[in-house]
Amino acid sequence: MSDWTLCIDFGTAYSKAAVAPTGAWSSFDPSRVRPLMLGAHDPRGDPFLLQSVVFVDEESVRFGRAAAERAEELSGAGRVALRSFKTLLSVGDLDRGLNTSAPKSIDPKRQFKMRDLIVLYLAYLLAAIERAKAADPLLAETKPALRYAAPDWSGGESASMHAVVTRLFAGADAFRLAAGDQLLAPEGLAISAIKEALPKAFSDAPPLAMALIFEATAAAAYTSIGLDSNATHLIVVDVGAGTTDITALARSSGRMSELAQARETLKQAGDFIDRVIANRIVALDGRARTVEKQTELWRALMHEVRDVKETLCATGKVTFRHQGRALTLSLRDLERDADFRAFIAAMTKAYDRGLATACGAAGKKGEVLAVAVGGGASAPFVQALLRRKPSGANARVAPRPAVPDWAHAPEFQGNLAPVFSQLAIAIGGALAPDDMLAAR
Amino acid sequence: MAAKKAKPKRVKPAPAPKAAPALADGLAETAWRQADAALAEALADLDEVAAAANDAARADALAMLAQSLSRAARKRGLDRIGELGAREAFNKQRHDLIAASAKAPQGVLIRARGVARGGEVLLRARVTPLRRKR
Repeated sequence: MSDWTLCIDFGTAYSKAAVAPTGAWSSFDPSRVRPLMLGAHDPRGDPFLLQSVVFVDEESVRFGRAAAERAEELSGAGRVALRSFKTLLSVGDLDRGLNTSAPKSIDPKRQFKMRDLIVLYLAYLLAAIERAKAADPLLAETKPALRYAAPDWSGGESASMHAVVTRLFAGADAFRLAAGDQLLAPEGLAISAIKEALPKAFSDAPPLAMALIFEATAAAAYTSIGLDSNATHLIVVDVGAGTTDITALARSSGRMSELAQARETLKQAGDFIDRVIANRIVALDGRARTVEKQTELWRALMHEVRDVKETLCATGKVTFRHQGRALTLSLRDLERDADFRAFIAAMTKAYDRGLATACGAAGKKGEVLAVAVGGGASAPFVQALLRRKPSGANARVAPRPAVPDWAHAPEFQGNLAPVFSQLAIAIGGALAPDDMLAAR
Repeated sequence: MAAKKAKPKRVKPAPAPKAAPALADGLAETAWRQADAALAEALADLDEVAAAANDAARADALAMLAQSLSRAARKRGLDRIGELGAREAFNKQRHDLIAASAKAPQGVLIRARGVARGGEVLLRARVTPLRRKR
């Protein structure tokens, strides 16, 4: 058994990884939590994030930031990069999805199946992990046990999905060893070399021991580790980019299980809120009367929408400057938007149902921890949800902060907390005990 | 005549691979990089405040300056303590009394919020004593 556990959060926009001592759950020392600096060698990027992007060029395949930049250069020619491929792993018929060819805009010569491109990206991700591990004096000589975090694949499909994903990682690891350091070069890998090595790597790949942890369980792990609480239940609100997921979990003898009847998924989340914010600001600008002017403002807004949303949520208002004009949107303006109100109403209803289920299961003297994860975790309307009381139940509900107290430990010198929400799932996945795993 | 000795070709040493920074440094670097960008914006906003042609332009520039500073603070993990105008029981760990008072007041009014980072108070909230009702 390894002394360390590594968890990969293969994210829609960015991938992250973190390592923690294998026994962290029973004797927790925050200073031994190690988020990996996957992007540390790129002076222009965030040291902890690796862009989830693949670009098929004329004669090579590029990854990460280099892929995103090349796609930007060629956007006028109708070329796009493959992004958000994580969502492919959630489709019903995964094998069929993996065997389809990538669209022509991504791969004009139709040389690759989706499986090939995902394996290539995973090989790049594993190479970045190895490089980051080698640069960390504590981890350089270690061989951590591997995990990956994924959304819950409901309907009892987890075991078969896990088998497929593990095979993809095994193929990727074999290809990484064959391709060497060139995988991490900005110019990418030659397509001729890929065509030669990839089929062999995939067919000869030895099995890779890898465990699956659901994202909600990873959230439960980082929220409740080291906490002096006897709470047996948790409710997790995950406001991601594409969906908002509400999950209730029960903990019994260390093991986590989901209360299936509490699960709710809404099709509106971060991206939807971005669009509402952009629409409201466009509506504020009296001078943008033509469709062209409005489109121009919309594009400028969407380019900075993450910062705009973060400021709005943190301070209650945001001022956006466009062509010399200052446009100020307040949280109250946002809350008056009909689409936004409908989203909040749907989220509140879904949360109340999930909370009622969790409180009912926790019983009269039970306690339920409420936590929000994902990009929208600290938004005031999400934090307000966590303060809601269950109707007709006696269980106590304890809202937990988006950033756990332990992330403020002096060892991090105050610098983990501002980036915690981005790394949270990878960290939680590495901290969780084996009992919390969904599949091995 | 002896052949002129060829000068040994200078071989440029290969650049040493850039070592990845230690974890604490990496976290700090991330926080500072984002904060620096916001601080740079703040400096430009400050010039716009100074150069504003009228009250409306000055108000806009001030709003942008406040936003840039607050973004820089967030990227460094700074939180504000208390709410402007709130009334609280006096706590010398959190409050800095800015008006003369013969003895410690019971209640205070927050005139300027304090700043904390994690559990550490970097700046206490500036407060004045609440006047007792007669």
